[in-house]
Amino acid sequence: MRAVTHDERAAAGLLAGLVAVLMAVTAFPILYSLWISLFAVNLRRPNRMPFVGLDNYIAVLSSPAFWGSVGRTALFSALAVAAILVIATLVALLLDQEFPGRRILSACLLIPWAIPSVVNGLMWKWIYDSNYGALNGLLLQLGFIGSATIWLGDSNRTLPLIANAFIWKEVPLAAILLLVTLKSIPADLYGAAAVDGAPAWRRFFAITLPALRPGFLLVTLYEAMMAVRHFDLFFLLTEGGPGGASDVVAWRIYVETFRNLSFGTGAAMSYILAIATLLMSYALIRGMARTL
Amino acid sequence: MIVPRPIAPRMLRLAALGLASLLLLAYVLGPVMWLLSSSLQTEREIVSIPPHWIPESPTLANFKAIFATGLGLARPSPAGTDPSSGGFIPSVAANLLPAMANSFIVAVTVTILNLLIGVPAAYAIGKIRFRGRGLTLYAILATRVIPDIALVVPLFLVVRKLGMLDSLASLIIAYLAITVPFSVFVLASFFEQMPDDLDRAARVDGCSRLRVLTHVYLPLARPALVAVGLFAFLASWNEFLLALMFTQTAASQTLPIVVAGITSDFTVSFSFLNAAGVLAVVPPVLLAVIFERYIVSGLTAGAVKG
Repeated sequence: MRAVTHDERAAAGLLAGLVAVLMAVTAFPILYSLWISLFAVNLRRPNRMPFVGLDNYIAVLSSPAFWGSVGRTALFSALAVAAILVIATLVALLLDQEFPGRRILSACLLIPWAIPSVVNGLMWKWIYDSNYGALNGLLLQLGFIGSATIWLGDSNRTLPLIANAFIWKEVPLAAILLLVTLKSIPADLYGAAAVDGAPAWRRFFAITLPALRPGFLLVTLYEAMMAVRHFDLFFLLTEGGPGGASDVVAWRIYVETFRNLSFGTGAAMSYILAIATLLMSYALIRGMARTL
Repeated sequence: MIVPRPIAPRMLRLAALGLASLLLLAYVLGPVMWLLSSSLQTEREIVSIPPHWIPESPTLANFKAIFATGLGLARPSPAGTDPSSGGFIPSVAANLLPAMANSFIVAVTVTILNLLIGVPAAYAIGKIRFRGRGLTLYAILATRVIPDIALVVPLFLVVRKLGMLDSLASLIIAYLAITVPFSVFVLASFFEQMPDDLDRAARVDGCSRLRVLTHVYLPLARPALVAVGLFAFLASWNEFLLALMFTQTAASQTLPIVVAGITSDFTVSFSFLNAAGVLAVVPPVLLAVIFERYIVSGLTAGAVKG
């Protein structure tokens, strides 16, 4: 019995720093945010802060503009996650092979992961530039297009183009996670299949793809969370434009809070986003765990 | 009967792998090379159509301007100077080095605090059974699910109330919230894998918990410590959203904020813009490439259980 209490006390001492950080910078803000979301806080009228109950939530949930941004967030995330899964699987399959130069390749793969998202935004904005950008330059030189295109100005292309920048930065991490899953497949499985004379493509569909499922779940979960909350590229590339074509939920929270200075609705929206993220993760885990 | 594998399929396999590797390299490095190439071009060359993929007359003028103005050796060009005449130094150039210094101070402080807070907590979770262990783990996981943008509004109001807006301290505290849970997670899974016997043997010899941690486990945990330190550094160096809210003047602005400001400034030439981007990219990319092994093992340790 004494050992247990001693351990409890040791654990408490060792955990003090972590608990302080979690309380001060995570738990408290979350509760404070809930509190704020029940008031009509507007920094333009700092002395008046009437209690409005769930009015902020009702206002947000009954606004067509909000649901429009939810749809765009869903589209952006679906595009990004699907593309990341496909590209990262191909990359992981390549890096799973033994060949000269493999180590240099995997070191280079970390570069997009390490680049600050602001520079990622700057870089792709410059690539997409309508006058001097690399995309127009390349496509013109190759003869795919006849004249320079205003890429980000086309509201049908904005979301896919921003998703492309997001995908480029996220593929490395996803590929690393899938590669670990690949490495954990027992080699005997392949050996047995080779003895049975199964061709490479059948081995891929019968062994590799099913074995990758836990990796797919992890990557889908993580990348969906990252995509749904993503803000930086929207700020840097389009500021929600053109004409609201890239007005996603994260951007809307920013505008509502820091441009319209409506902290109450901003907090309500962040709360809705946080709860939606939790539900989404839960559903993904449940849904995919069942198919495993 | 064992037949030696014929040469042709092996060559074919290598050729296919080589081609795939080249494609991947082009995808990964292409955009970065274009950033680098653009940063080395003159203001005249950067607006050529079609673009020059490799600078015809590469110049370090942008970087010289950043360092000269940042160190107070040169002044930005007065407004109204014709940018196309060359040698035009935008006034924001002087902000880049101070911002880089801010980024370094914040990132290094966050890294050190991460290890100081994270190592003991991770050791407790990994090696001690105590009531509330499960709850602590859930709390850590929960922080990773909550979007950072959801924390922005309340944190901003708190920081404002405490009069800490526009200070590096506000950034350091906020970044601890983002990085510490992940550090604890990676380190705890590392400690958990280590044999308990080490702990028991040392404790029998009369070592305190703290001594066991510092003298037995820490030396063994070096790879995990390097990985966790790197993650904390990179996350702080790259963070944008919170810095955008909390900082207002050059006194506290970090590099991403100043670079973002340049991105939306139409008076700054494209080549200077790219040079500012290169400046922000060099430290994290160097760290990532040098410590690739540590990072990959750390990422997988953090993710497999997350």
